[in-house]
Amino acid sequence: MTLESRWVSQGDLEKLRRREIRYTVARHIVTLPLLRVLTSSEDPLKLRRFLTSSRWFDLLHMDASDNTGSLKEMVETVGQNGGPAAENCSALEGVLPAEMLRIKQQMSNQCFEMAVQLNAGKSKRSCSTSEAERELPNFVSELERVKGVHFNSTLVLHRLQMWHAIGEKMKQAGPDAAVLKTVSDRCMALCSQIKQLQIENRNLQNEITEIQKQRLEIKRLTHEKMKEMEGLMSSKEHPEKYNAVLEKGLANLEKYKKMTIVTQNVLRGILLACKVNWLDDPTLRETVMTLEEFPISE
Amino acid sequence: MSLLNPFNKRPGLNTATILLVENEEQFQQSLANVLVEETAVTVNVRLAKTLPLPMKNDESRPRIDLVVFIINLTLDKSVKSAKASLKYLDPGYFLGKVCFMVTNARQALGCTGRLDAVRQLAVSLHCPLLFAEDQTPEGVTSSARRLLTILKVASGLVPNTTALYLSNLTRCAMPPDIDQPSFD
Repeated sequence: MTLESRWVSQGDLEKLRRREIRYTVARHIVTLPLLRVLTSSEDPLKLRRFLTSSRWFDLLHMDASDNTGSLKEMVETVGQNGGPAAENCSALEGVLPAEMLRIKQQMSNQCFEMAVQLNAGKSKRSCSTSEAERELPNFVSELERVKGVHFNSTLVLHRLQMWHAIGEKMKQAGPDAAVLKTVSDRCMALCSQIKQLQIENRNLQNEITEIQKQRLEIKRLTHEKMKEMEGLMSSKEHPEKYNAVLEKGLANLEKYKKMTIVTQNVLRGILLACKVNWLDDPTLRETVMTLEEFPISE
Repeated sequence: MSLLNPFNKRPGLNTATILLVENEEQFQQSLANVLVEETAVTVNVRLAKTLPLPMKNDESRPRIDLVVFIINLTLDKSVKSAKASLKYLDPGYFLGKVCFMVTNARQALGCTGRLDAVRQLAVSLHCPLLFAEDQTPEGVTSSARRLLTILKVASGLVPNTTALYLSNLTRCAMPPDIDQPSFD
C-alpha cells in the first residue's frame, strides 16, 4: 500500500503503531452501526441499495490487514458528498479516539433515523381516514402524557442538580457554607411546616364537605315537608274538588229521605184505614212509634 | 423529481446542511455568515429564493437536513412565495426537518391577519415557528444559535435524539381563543 510505504520511509515505528491502533479502532466502531442496520432492515429499499453500493459494505468483508487504505477510501467517498476530501485526510492524522466515538455515535443515530423511515414505509396497512381520526385522540393524549412526564423529569433533574451543587458548596466549608446551612435549615423547617399545614387544610376541607352534605340533606327534607303542608293547606281552603261530590251526596240523601217519608205515610195510611190494633203487638207498636219521628211531608 | 427528499442521499461525517429559503434574499446572507462560524460541526449553508431548486445542482448538492422558510411579515409576497414553495418538499421533511422563521413581527403588529395565517400554517404542518430580529447583529447571532440547535438534532448529530422527537417538543400551538378543530 502506498500509505504504509510512506510511513515506513519516515522511519517512525512508534507513530506507525499508534496510528494502526487508531485505525483498527475506527474500523471496528464504524462497522458496528452498519451491521446493526443491515440485520434489522429486511427489504431491499433505498438504504440497503446505498449501503451495498457504497464502499462501506466492502469494509465489512475486508480482512484485518487491509484496513488503513479502505478507511481512507470510505472517508473520501463520504467526503465527496459532504466536505472536501483533503480536509479529512489531514483531519485523520490528529484525530483522537474520543472524536471517533463521537462520530460513531452520530453515524449510529443517522442510521437509526434511516431505519425508522424504512420501517415506517413497510408496515403501511390500508386504513380509512375516519379510522385514523378515531385513533388520533388516543395518540395525541399519549403524546401529551409523555410530554408531561418529560417535563416533570426535567424539573426533577434540575432540582437534583441544584441540591447536588448546594451540597458540594457546603462541603467546601467556606464562608458561604454557614450561610447556606442556615438557609437550607430554614428551608427544611418551612417545608415541614408547609406539609403540616397542608394536612390540616385537607382535614378541614373534608369536614366542611361533610357538613355541606348534611346541610343539603336537611334542606331536601325540609323542602319535602313544606310541599306536603302546602298540599294540605290548599285542600282545606279550596275544597272545590269535593264540592261536586258533596252536592251529589246531599242530593242522594234528600231523595232517600223523601222515599222514606212517602213509605212511612203509606204505612200510616194503611194502618189507619184498616183499623189495625197496633197497641197490643209490641213490634208493631215500635214501628208505629218510629213513624212519628219524621214530620208529615207537605 | 422536483421534490426535495430528505433521505435519498448519504449523510456526511460530522456535517450538517441547512437550506435557507427567503424571497427577499437579505436575512439569509447574514444568517449564513454566522452559521458557518460554528466549529464543532461542519455546517453547509445553501441559500435559495424559492423551491424547486434548480436541477443542474442536483448531483452535487448534499443531503439537506433542515429547510428554513424565512418570512418577512411586512410583505404579503413573502408569505405567498413560502406557501408556494412548500409543495416541492417531500412529506418526509415535515417530520421535524422544516422550520418557519418570521422577521419584522413588531412592525407587522397592525395587521395580525398575516401572522395568524403563518401561525395556522405552522400548526397545520406541525413545524416550529421562530421569531427573529434581523436588524441587529445580536439578533442575527441569537437566531443563528437557535437554528443551529435544531439543525444539530435534525442532522442526527445529537445522540439519542432525532428530528421527530424534537418536533414534538417544539411544535407551534395556536392560542386557545382562535377556533381550531377539536378532537371530539
